[in-house]
Amino acid sequence: MTTPLKMLSIAAMASTMLATAPLSAQAGGVLRLDEVAVGELDPAIASDYADSILMFNVYDTLVLPAQGAPGHVPHLAESWEGDGTTFTFKLRSDVKFVSGNPMTAEDVVFSLDRMKAMGKGLSYLFANVADAEAVDASTVKFTLTKPYAPFVASLVRLPIVDKKTVMANLGEGEGEMKDWGAAYLTSTSAGTGAYKIVSHNPQEETVMEKNPDYFLGVPAPAPDTARLRYGLEAATVRTLIAQGEHDIASQWLPPEVIKALAANGAQVLTESGTGAFYVKMNTTKPPLDDVNCRMAFAKAFDYGAALKMIAVTDTVSQGAASTGAIPVGMFGANPADQVLARDLEAAKQHLAACKYKPEDFTLEISWIAEVPVEERFALLMQANYAELGVKSEIKKMPWALFAEQVSKPENTPHMSQLFVNAVTGDPDTLLYGMYHSSAAGTWQSPEYLNDAEVDKQLDAGRTAATPEGREEAYSALNARLMEIAPTIYGYDRQSVFAASNRVKVPALSDPSKAFGLDGMGFTFRLMEVAD
Amino acid sequence: MIPLARLLAKRLATSLIVLIGVSMLIFAIARIIPGDPARIALGPNATAEQIADLRAELHLDDHIVVQYGHFIADVARGDLGISLYTNRPVTADIALYLPATLELVLVAGVMMVGIGLPLGIWSARWRGRAADNIIRLISLLGVSAPSFVWAVILMLLFAFYLPLFPIAGRISDTYAISSVTGFLLVDTLLQGDIRAFGNAAWHIVLPAFALALSGIGQAARLTRANMVETYDKPYIEMARSYGFPARRIANHYAFRPSLIPSLTIIGLDFAAMLGNAFLVEAIFAWPGLSRYGVAVILRKDLNAIVGTVLIISATFLLVNIIVDLLIALLNPRIRYSQRPA
Repeated sequence: MTTPLKMLSIAAMASTMLATAPLSAQAGGVLRLDEVAVGELDPAIASDYADSILMFNVYDTLVLPAQGAPGHVPHLAESWEGDGTTFTFKLRSDVKFVSGNPMTAEDVVFSLDRMKAMGKGLSYLFANVADAEAVDASTVKFTLTKPYAPFVASLVRLPIVDKKTVMANLGEGEGEMKDWGAAYLTSTSAGTGAYKIVSHNPQEETVMEKNPDYFLGVPAPAPDTARLRYGLEAATVRTLIAQGEHDIASQWLPPEVIKALAANGAQVLTESGTGAFYVKMNTTKPPLDDVNCRMAFAKAFDYGAALKMIAVTDTVSQGAASTGAIPVGMFGANPADQVLARDLEAAKQHLAACKYKPEDFTLEISWIAEVPVEERFALLMQANYAELGVKSEIKKMPWALFAEQVSKPENTPHMSQLFVNAVTGDPDTLLYGMYHSSAAGTWQSPEYLNDAEVDKQLDAGRTAATPEGREEAYSALNARLMEIAPTIYGYDRQSVFAASNRVKVPALSDPSKAFGLDGMGFTFRLMEVAD
Repeated sequence: MIPLARLLAKRLATSLIVLIGVSMLIFAIARIIPGDPARIALGPNATAEQIADLRAELHLDDHIVVQYGHFIADVARGDLGISLYTNRPVTADIALYLPATLELVLVAGVMMVGIGLPLGIWSARWRGRAADNIIRLISLLGVSAPSFVWAVILMLLFAFYLPLFPIAGRISDTYAISSVTGFLLVDTLLQGDIRAFGNAAWHIVLPAFALALSGIGQAARLTRANMVETYDKPYIEMARSYGFPARRIANHYAFRPSLIPSLTIIGLDFAAMLGNAFLVEAIFAWPGLSRYGVAVILRKDLNAIVGTVLIISATFLLVNIIVDLLIALLNPRIRYSQRPA
């Protein structure tokens, strides 16, 4: 080797060895977690789980779900009152945005107007809001087009943005509001949250740090810095956690990887209560247009075997036994001990009463290509229904194709497997989109259900003025949905996260601290990270 | 015009035609993939009205020829549109992610040439002996397993069981390097931070080696085969009879003529690494363009798919032009064949 080459090699080796030192020790107070999808920072576009984690930390909302209990508690609001169609919120006076601007009613009105004008993300939740008015600097009044009981619950999805900052950073666009600051808010935040954005690279990570001026203060044990990483492979996450270089894995790790990490001493965190796994039956397509055939398939499904397939450890599973159409913990849910179980004899009786004979049809069972566990459920159903003498074929469908095909009943498979969540934690956002006849033909509603009684109870559930009224409506709805069986109610979903032992996450480990809203368990200010 | 300039002009002209063809092809293919881009971009909770609005905004309801016209008009202004995946301009995404991939591929390319060619030379020089057999076995292993398999094996061996190298990313969290070129190995040196440079170098070793292994095997095998053939030429016999040292014969008389066919394949391998990098990038959480490309294809992000494929194609063509020029430099017969008749 020539001398310059030797020198270059030695320099490279020396610098590499020098660089090794700072990595062997972890920086104190840093929380590292990951999500599969990229995180969207703009509150008017944010919709999925990664986005929710960002929203719940860099922005605040008027109300928050109560921890370990139903209902909501004031957050940016001090109090509120409503009569079904108008809601008036009194705001706190001690809240400032990270820019230093005080939070006022104008900001609340602007946040809603912006979300509705952009028409993306979860803006559909506010379709019933006719007007928002800043009565004075600390009072805001919402007027709805018709009574909508889950309105307060919807407000957990309305992050409040800093109007002055956004208006000073409008990008290119048409009209007075140009792009509504979309280009600006895609790369940074303008919120009041406990954390503020340090950097945001949609394919790599979003780095957040504590906001020292947070109106509730951020406890010292909470992470100083949080790094939300995107798109890590399961093998990479497993290695990172094992090496102490990662703290909380996403819920999308295969169960066997979570199991292996748990066996190596990792803690297992859970979040439940807002969604379920459903096998949806196309009620317009023979033989599923006959309720007896649907009942036969619902009764023949092996609920216990499905639960075993998603068990992570002996005590933790990615689901809990289903009791009906509504997950346990929501309005109208059946008691937790009334679990659904396979009943082959009842299935045979229903099939005998069905107007279609097994030899006359072949059942299409679809599964979403991006969700491998659904293939196992498809195989389970194929085996279950073979015991009834029913032939079936399994169809693997990419999500994009599935979402397109279900827009027409004739293209929708007999059976579609779906995980559906209530985006606000309220049963209305879980059930209305699935079962109301006006909502048929979306990815959530491949049943194409058209049942007057179901429609009536869904409308009653969203307009009832009292919790008791809503409980009654959803109980009746649950009973009706069990009776006409448009869906096989597989199991109540539970998200499971493998985590290192240097973090404490009460909202994901103690049911009395749980929020009952997807992603809110990742409120960093309520976590503790060991140095 | 001198022969090299003539060759360069020819290659640039044909590359431009190829790029236009690629843009038409990928533009059409991206629209044939099943799934509505607006529906995918807006997510499962989007209403029919929201989907219709976005389709109109993206001109998706227009005829494909009209859509292509809009695309070409935007490209002429340097605008590749907004990515539905990241909600940012595609040009900004490419500017952010391309340097990371180029850095990885360049280091892998250096490894491919720096390790593959010497292995080939040694193998040919000691053909039939133990060293030759060992090198051939290693080369065969490198060629026969894809990069992502090597990535997982290397990660397991040298990051998990023997924690010698980092598992993910381009640099440790403890360093804050402001981007000048986007190449961390360069930016760290520009900032005079030798520790950060070492850290970035330490991060790139495993992914680059995983990516390069197949090319190393290919380069070693090709070089060996070509040199073995050259060793049978009379002028090598003559050099031997003059008593030239074996090392000199190998490096000066056998290697150079053998390099020309190897260089063509190495050039192609090098360019192909741009496309092959995506699984290595995914496994090592390397925030590069290849990983971005796969993510946007899965989400049917039309603007980003077309932008990414065009950039990768342009880089592929550029590498091929450079290789052609190098071969022309090394081989006068090719260089002077460019002269007008």
